Amino acid sequence: MGSGNNPIYTGVPEKDVFALHFLQTLSNLRTQIPFSSPDKTKDRVKKIKKAAYVSMARAAGGTNRLWSRSLLHQAAKRNNKNVRLSRRRKRVTWPRRNRRDPVEEPAAERLRNLVPGGGAMETSKLMEETAHYIKCLSMQVKVMQCLVDGLSPK
Amino acid sequence: MDLTGAFGARSAAVGPCREPPGLESLHIGGGDGGFTALLELPPTQAVELLHFTDPSLSSSSQAAAAAVAGIGLDVSPPPPLHAYGALTFPSNEALMERAARFSVMANEQQQQQNGNVSGETTTTSSVPSNSDRVKTEPGETDSSQRLENNRCGKRKELDKKVKGSTKKKSKSSEENEKLPYVHVRARRGQATDSHSLAERARREKINARMKLLQELVPGCDKIQGTALVLDEIINHVQSLQRQVEMLSMRLAAVNPRIDFNFDTLLASENGSLMDGSFSGTAMQLAWPHQVTETEQSFHHRQLQQLPLPPQQWPYDGLNQPAWGREGDQDQGNGHSSLMVGSASLHPNQVKMEL
Repeated sequence: MGSGNNPIYTGVPEKDVFALHFLQTLSNLRTQIPFSSPDKTKDRVKKIKKAAYVSMARAAGGTNRLWSRSLLHQAAKRNNKNVRLSRRRKRVTWPRRNRRDPVEEPAAERLRNLVPGGGAMETSKLMEETAHYIKCLSMQVKVMQCLVDGLSPK
Repeated sequence: MDLTGAFGARSAAVGPCREPPGLESLHIGGGDGGFTALLELPPTQAVELLHFTDPSLSSSSQAAAAAVAGIGLDVSPPPPLHAYGALTFPSNEALMERAARFSVMANEQQQQQNGNVSGETTTTSSVPSNSDRVKTEPGETDSSQRLENNRCGKRKELDKKVKGSTKKKSKSSEENEKLPYVHVRARRGQATDSHSLAERARREKINARMKLLQELVPGCDKIQGTALVLDEIINHVQSLQRQVEMLSMRLAAVNPRIDFNFDTLLASENGSLMDGSFSGTAMQLAWPHQVTETEQSFHHRQLQQLPLPPQQWPYDGLNQPAWGREGDQDQGNGHSSLMVGSASLHPNQVKMEL
């Protein structure tokens, strides 16, 4: 990758880290629903999707990155046994409202809605997080594609 | 000789070597010994200047000093000398050291009297490049960077006066990240109050990150204008999120139940994911975790005497990947098929079953 000169660090772990986390989360899903597994597709899909996001957030750096931190907090809020997060850090972002308001940036509004935790970031920080988020998302998509290809009947 | 005597008297009056009047007097008196007189003007400080050299330029400095000393008598200081002397000397120690060695006056002369002294051409030709380098590429040497930062305020005014054409930004966006303070050089014709400076710094930060995002998103290089690039980025993020949702739907369809057996998945993924990405250590780390987990689940099952839930068969696809996939489908039907099919079960599992 030609990003050697970049002081803005957006490094992302290798593919196997993502794969590992995803598989672990999926197996947690299995043990979590012991017996009464509803065969409704929507529930299952939702669970898998949530598992995908949570595992991606974990693989990408846990609580070190702002978007992953807020993702994990969102997941833990719904009292999901899947996500265990230390309750010590109740806040995702420290109160810095004085930073955000005077600096107006109407164009980045949509981006804030897309990226988790984007509502409380400055614009430059938001763009850093977006770059990292995009990298992790593409890695997760690759992993899931491999899984589906491997598991689907040939 | 008179010159030196005069300067000897003057040097006492003149404080720092950067004082213009001293130099002007030098100029006025200046006849033969232009360079040497300059060097002698503030003798202690000239010596200090000569000793204060960059490690990278030390070798060149010594050669240059010799050259200057040898040539000093040949040249005569030109009229515009004082203009230069007044402004360049007070500004920068690095510049001063170079001036002491090569003497910007020699540069001036060079421009006026071409090929005056052959020996000087080589040394002085590097002077404009050096001074330019100092100004335009601040990250070149540590000392010059430090000096620049120290004299940033002075430089602003001086540079506006002298070098209007070569005014470039001394601070690049990369420097912004490293230094605790933001040092911005005001561009020619732009406001220099702190608000606009901060604004400009912030805008540069945002532009740098926008460039980074542009590289990341395919097809964003050709688009001009930040609004369109932002749109493209947002589209890309949305498409990635939609892809995740689609793939999770497909995954759910592939496995009718949420009974992902870690090991079947691993076994089946052996081929597809093993394109150099899955490290052996990662798998080894994962397996012991799974082993303990499934043993516990077996214990639970035995205690509670529940009928065998479909997902409690972890080691189905241990050695037979193709079979493992089919085995998932048939699991709920009965134990017997599995018992027959599983050629080599884990010893613990076998014990429990029996």
